[in-house]
Amino acid sequence: VPEPIVSSDFNWVVLLPHLIVLALALVTLAYDIIVPDGQERNWFMTAMSVAGYGGAIVAALALTARYESSFREMAVLDDLGIFLIVTLLAAALLTVFIAATTIPQMRMPLGEFYTLLAFSTLGGMVVAATTDLVMIFVGIELSSLAVFILAAFAKRRRESIEGALKYFLLSAFATAILLYGMAWLYGVTGSTNLTTIATRLTAYTDRNNASLLLATLLIVVGLGFKAAAVPFHMWTPDAYQGAPTPVTAFMSVAPKVTAFAAMIRVLIEGMGPMRDQWVPLLIVLSVLTMGLGNLVAIAQRSVKRMLAYSSIAHTGYILVGIASFQAANTGDIAIASVLFYNFAYTFMNLGAFAIVAWLQSKGRGESVDDFSGLAVTAPLHAAAMAVFLFSLTGVPPLLGFYGKYFIIQAAIEANLTWLAIVVVIFSAISAFYYLRLVATMYFGEPQGEPERIPARFFGLGIAVMVVATLVLGVLSGPILDLARQWVF
Amino acid sequence: VQNLVPDAFPLLSLITYLPLVGMLVLFLVPRISDDTARWTALITSGVVLVVSLLLLTRPVAEGAGAAGKFAPMIWNEQFEWLPEIGISYHFGADGMSILFVLLTTLLTPLAIIASWSSVGTRVREFHISMLLLETGLIGAFLSLDLFLFYVFFELSLIPMALIIGIWGSRNRVYSAIKFFLYTLAGSLLMLVAIVATYQAFYNQTGRRTLDVLELATQTYGVPFQYWVFAAFFIAFAIKVPMWPVHTWLPDAHTEAPTAGSVMLAAVMLKLGGYGMLRFCLPLYPEAARYFAPAIMILSTIAIIYGALVALPQPDWKRLVAYSSVSHMGFVTLGIFAFNEQALQGAIMVMFAHGLNTAALFLCVGIVYERAHTREIRLFRGLSSTMPIYSAFFCAFVFASIGLPGMTGFVGEFHALMGAFRGPGFASDDQLNLYRTTAIIASLVVILSAWYMLWLYQRVAQGTAPGLQLAHAHAGGHGGLGHDAGHAHGAHGHDSDDHGGDKVDRDHRAAPEAHGAPTDHGAHDPAEAASHEMHLTDVKPREILTLAPLLVLTIVFGFFPGPIFELVAPAVDNLLAAFK
Repeated sequence: VPEPIVSSDFNWVVLLPHLIVLALALVTLAYDIIVPDGQERNWFMTAMSVAGYGGAIVAALALTARYESSFREMAVLDDLGIFLIVTLLAAALLTVFIAATTIPQMRMPLGEFYTLLAFSTLGGMVVAATTDLVMIFVGIELSSLAVFILAAFAKRRRESIEGALKYFLLSAFATAILLYGMAWLYGVTGSTNLTTIATRLTAYTDRNNASLLLATLLIVVGLGFKAAAVPFHMWTPDAYQGAPTPVTAFMSVAPKVTAFAAMIRVLIEGMGPMRDQWVPLLIVLSVLTMGLGNLVAIAQRSVKRMLAYSSIAHTGYILVGIASFQAANTGDIAIASVLFYNFAYTFMNLGAFAIVAWLQSKGRGESVDDFSGLAVTAPLHAAAMAVFLFSLTGVPPLLGFYGKYFIIQAAIEANLTWLAIVVVIFSAISAFYYLRLVATMYFGEPQGEPERIPARFFGLGIAVMVVATLVLGVLSGPILDLARQWVF
Repeated sequence: VQNLVPDAFPLLSLITYLPLVGMLVLFLVPRISDDTARWTALITSGVVLVVSLLLLTRPVAEGAGAAGKFAPMIWNEQFEWLPEIGISYHFGADGMSILFVLLTTLLTPLAIIASWSSVGTRVREFHISMLLLETGLIGAFLSLDLFLFYVFFELSLIPMALIIGIWGSRNRVYSAIKFFLYTLAGSLLMLVAIVATYQAFYNQTGRRTLDVLELATQTYGVPFQYWVFAAFFIAFAIKVPMWPVHTWLPDAHTEAPTAGSVMLAAVMLKLGGYGMLRFCLPLYPEAARYFAPAIMILSTIAIIYGALVALPQPDWKRLVAYSSVSHMGFVTLGIFAFNEQALQGAIMVMFAHGLNTAALFLCVGIVYERAHTREIRLFRGLSSTMPIYSAFFCAFVFASIGLPGMTGFVGEFHALMGAFRGPGFASDDQLNLYRTTAIIASLVVILSAWYMLWLYQRVAQGTAPGLQLAHAHAGGHGGLGHDAGHAHGAHGHDSDDHGGDKVDRDHRAAPEAHGAPTDHGAHDPAEAASHEMHLTDVKPREILTLAPLLVLTIVFGFFPGPIFELVAPAVDNLLAAFK
């Protein structure tokens, strides 16, 4: 018999970052409907979004080291959650910088974009800050639904609709699988609370029984879909390529961070005692994902599609970090490396897509040849793109190198040296396609008129991402410390 | 003089990051004029050279240092960086580091002077790359933390690849990417080995560190040592480069602009040898002993192979590049003989090779700037058209052969003597191997005399200067049937790497390229032709790049003592593990 809910169960402070983003979503929605079109209108909504996400980041950081929960652990604010929330908010904030310039140039409505962006971010935040299966499910759905609409945002382009529909259908399928897995887990353990599940699984002697294995398999497959792990990645290239590029930038980051938040919560926090059962699954997935992502990326002529496959490859690297999980000791490098990689990936991948979006808003295409000689026509943008691509390759001292370094360290500490070598080999292979683009920009023949640097928001966003990619690696100490402070 | 620099002064960091100051100036002033950019870079690197000379103000520290395997650091800087995972910011310099840092700081300004007129496009970006390269190289020679070393090691790759890929000659993009991928693949394996060593140290001591001075205090298990050593060694062998992982080098050297070739040959290759001495040997001594015989054989192959392949090269620069493979073979030969004489010799070979090969590339660059070709068969009688130039070139040819009285001789002689003596712990069978390799390697000196003197004979001696060139440009290949046939005949020796294809492509492209040197858009055909007709002698600016190298080659050829004394503590301590 459930206990009655009392008022002391409500602790609204825990939800402060969420509430700010929710308010932002509702205000932009209302403002977009009420206020007539005009130039200041876009400017105002952008400023509001920047203030909203900035305020939410400040609120989240102010709540570190409190470890409070609310609504009977439906909302939990631990440092793990805060790290993920800040990563998601940073992704949203940077997307605003990119979209503020490029979305109006692509003749798409900015107000709806901001509203959907806020809802999707909110969904990810819900997943990050909860220890309950139901909330994780709700959060994933909220996050995904907004992104489906965003993927179809260029509604007059067939590819956009097609990609969104593929994404929607496969994702709905994956959701069903995930939910089924959660149901089995609930059936065996009798709880949706992850802490309780972990306690009961520890007491369980027969962890190899069919229902638990089925639950594990279904959950790994379901979350694998959301994170775009091979062989559940089929929707990714089409959805990424079809969506307007500012959307792709966000899509390649936020839903992935959300999926990894769910993996950390469900697999590590809830099913930690089942480690021996799910780790082999994740190792297989990670090798397949790194392999296919990197090898297929080589063959791509479209930069957007190349980055789509490269983002699949990065999913593989992050999966290595999760597979390196050994035991839930605070300060464990495996989870810290996953958190850090997500953080690093946010900046460098958003940055790379941002440059593609900028090039498209200038009327160019998205093929490798369109980048030819960019170093001459737009040296700053080319330099920024080079920084992002080198970082994605993992060249020190850029942010991406530190991400990979911590992943490799985690794998070797977990006695998975061979997996670390696989990471390294695929990093070397990935250098080929990233470098080809850098070579095209720097060594290719320039084409077209010199480009002019666009509006302030975009430049600011690029500057933030470049500085972060250059500097945060060298100063990764505090970030890694924060990532290592996770406590369930 | 000894207390010129206070104890707490971060001299090493200053030297490392000073080039970045000039780089930032260039970066932040987008409309800087070409000449201002050149002067900014030259002044910056000149200041770095002067400041780096301060490294010599402290006496060389004698005695045993950290772990009994390192010399006491003359200069030391250590701060916490990422303490939780044991990464520290640790710079240190013993005599060996100082030698290579000085080589870097000397050659960077020379390379910038050498590019004064030969680099005419995107001048600002070129000098940004050069200064970034200098920072990367100096940092790598000073790092004592493996993580920090890796960062600088990789950092130096990007500007080098850009220098080859943007300012190189015809096949530059291919060469730049090949260079980058080759070195990256090697160093990524090293990264895994670094983390594995870190973890092994943690398992043995419970402490987390990447400080090589601390890591060397532990003895690691034997099968573990083998593969970790191999990973490090392959990364450094690619840099050296050793046969059979040398194939990036001829392409990179041939296509790179003069400054790129100079920095690559004189400094970057030394990172390989330096890395073996600094990291491979002290950390994994058992593995080093185990692999030594195989490495001796590979080194001998490299020495012979480099010389044999250099012999028929039709491309002047490619010939010098292959001679590098041969000379660097003496380095690994000396290192893995594990005795004082051999190690001293190996370090001396690196120093000598840095001076000589840099000078030889500068010589090729000087002629290329005037004639826009490097094909040996097109040159004749330079000693009458360019007498001063030929005198310099002749001197460096002899330095490369190893004429007594020049640094090359000192280094190779010691390396060979040391290799013949072999390590103190060697069994009779191993000793025989060492002696055999040393004897074979010393016979190669004849080959090196052959290819270098033959090169000199073909380009500098003979009569009718300019006639061949004029002929070639008027009639394309018409009058050169004999020469072309000769060059094609040479392919057979070179067929196991890409050299053969490359030459073929050059040949097909030759008529149009000579008529209009498209890879140097700044020169119009008429101007180029007039240059070719009258190959003017070296200008004072060019003498300024060659003279210091010649002086150093001769001074340290006759008086190598100071360099041996500088590196002696490092060598002695290193050998303590190989008695």
